[in-house]
Amino acid sequence: MSDYAKPVPTPSEDSRIYWEATKNHRMMLQRCRACGAFRFPPGEVCPECTSEDYEWTPVSGKGRVFSFVIYHRAYQRGFADELPYVVAVIELEEGPRMLSNVTGCKPEEVRCDMPVEVVYDDITDEVTLPKFRPA
Amino acid sequence: MASLKDKYAIVGVGHSALGKVPELSDYGLQVTAVKAALDDAGLKKTDVDAVITHSHLLGAVRVHHQNLSERLGIDTAFGVSLSAGGATSCLMVQVAAAAIEAGFCKTVLCVHGDKGATRKTVTRGEGGGEFGPEYGLFGAAGAHAFGLTRHMHEYGTTHDHMGAIAVACRKHAQLNPVAAMQADMTLEDYHNSRWIVWPFHLFDCCLRSDGAAAVIVTSAERAKDMKQKPVYVMGMGQTNNSRGYIWGDHMTELGAKESGAQAFAMAGLKPKDIDTAQIYDCFTYILMATLEDYGFCKKGEGGPFVSGGRIELGGELPTNTSGGMLSECYIEGMLQIVEGVRQLRGECGARQVKDAETAIISGNGGNAVCHSTLILRN
Repeated sequence: MSDYAKPVPTPSEDSRIYWEATKNHRMMLQRCRACGAFRFPPGEVCPECTSEDYEWTPVSGKGRVFSFVIYHRAYQRGFADELPYVVAVIELEEGPRMLSNVTGCKPEEVRCDMPVEVVYDDITDEVTLPKFRPA
Repeated sequence: MASLKDKYAIVGVGHSALGKVPELSDYGLQVTAVKAALDDAGLKKTDVDAVITHSHLLGAVRVHHQNLSERLGIDTAFGVSLSAGGATSCLMVQVAAAAIEAGFCKTVLCVHGDKGATRKTVTRGEGGGEFGPEYGLFGAAGAHAFGLTRHMHEYGTTHDHMGAIAVACRKHAQLNPVAAMQADMTLEDYHNSRWIVWPFHLFDCCLRSDGAAAVIVTSAERAKDMKQKPVYVMGMGQTNNSRGYIWGDHMTELGAKESGAQAFAMAGLKPKDIDTAQIYDCFTYILMATLEDYGFCKKGEGGPFVSGGRIELGGELPTNTSGGMLSECYIEGMLQIVEGVRQLRGECGARQVKDAETAIISGNGGNAVCHSTLILRN
């Protein structure tokens, strides 16, 4: 393992394929074959229609900042060198929202509804985090 | 929902020492709060036949109600530990009423207490989980702050508005001898307090406290013969935005909207009929959003509404008259119920709301997902 000091996500049975995709610098979400809805976080039934029929589908990685916050304190030592840093709720073009970081601009430049696109951060040999930058 | 309007009453309230209480365990805090509530109600422990507790402690405990009853030395007809975060406080009173209505029990003790100030910090977020900690999302402040950012974007809400809430709570705390925060706070002090997670300053965030509180619920019929003038439960509601705070408009429209509507409908009241509000103020923003969702003003107008002294004693809607969790003490909403009851009994001295006859109490938890509401009268 590297000397990466921040929390590393622990994939679950549900999310394994999601994290395998990000490792290959692709974003894939489950799309319901019954109603067509994309969903996140991953799960075995569609939260819209309860169908169990889905396929992992590539998504655009484009979206907007729905909301965001700026951390001024490190609650975990790995973040101490990054203060202040942005945690955002990203709404993907395909509908689902996810938490991530906004990078590639100053925290004070981030705005709600700002268009963003995915970038990939290879944090360890095994895990890659999708993050977002201004589009 | 069956109308339980005025069928149940709160007949005793009490709390432990508040603030920093390193000499007592969490159970020590809880049993002293129970003793205070029993004394307040003029009851013996054997007059209680049910115990409902909030199972969430910083060191979470299974079958917490059982452990507490053991320490109180009572067997009970009904007992359950609930976990709905900050919504648990008012929810315990509602479950108590429902359990009595169902015939499970007659007189219910509702208890929560924790050592938020002097317990050793629990280590969290070190490598476990996904979709949050890896991006540096830690703690309740971050999760709740998203809502204020979005509210500012959509409605032009400002830090001056949040500051008005913090200052109002501090002024009230200064009239409450047991409140932790007694120092003056000006709007400038609010603005100068350090950032925790923008857009939250330190003074947007509630306290970390040791303390416990207990509330005793029984039927209106039984309440008539007890020591205290009963405080009746007129309205109850609860709603869970369980799809999560990041879904839909949940971060700006809380479960408070539906929960409050249920409670007002049961009570047969409108917001203008409420004399005092004791609102779950884990963060300033949640208090403002709750007042909007309860219908005291329109969605988006909460900022102007809380300004100009309207929520202060002497204002249109005296809110969190004890100082709230921002300036009195944090027991996850329990002291909101205690203060509401004391206001309706007229026991609040310098901070008494004149002629208070009705109070609305809120609980809000699970990172702004679960909500519960009580409307009380004297």
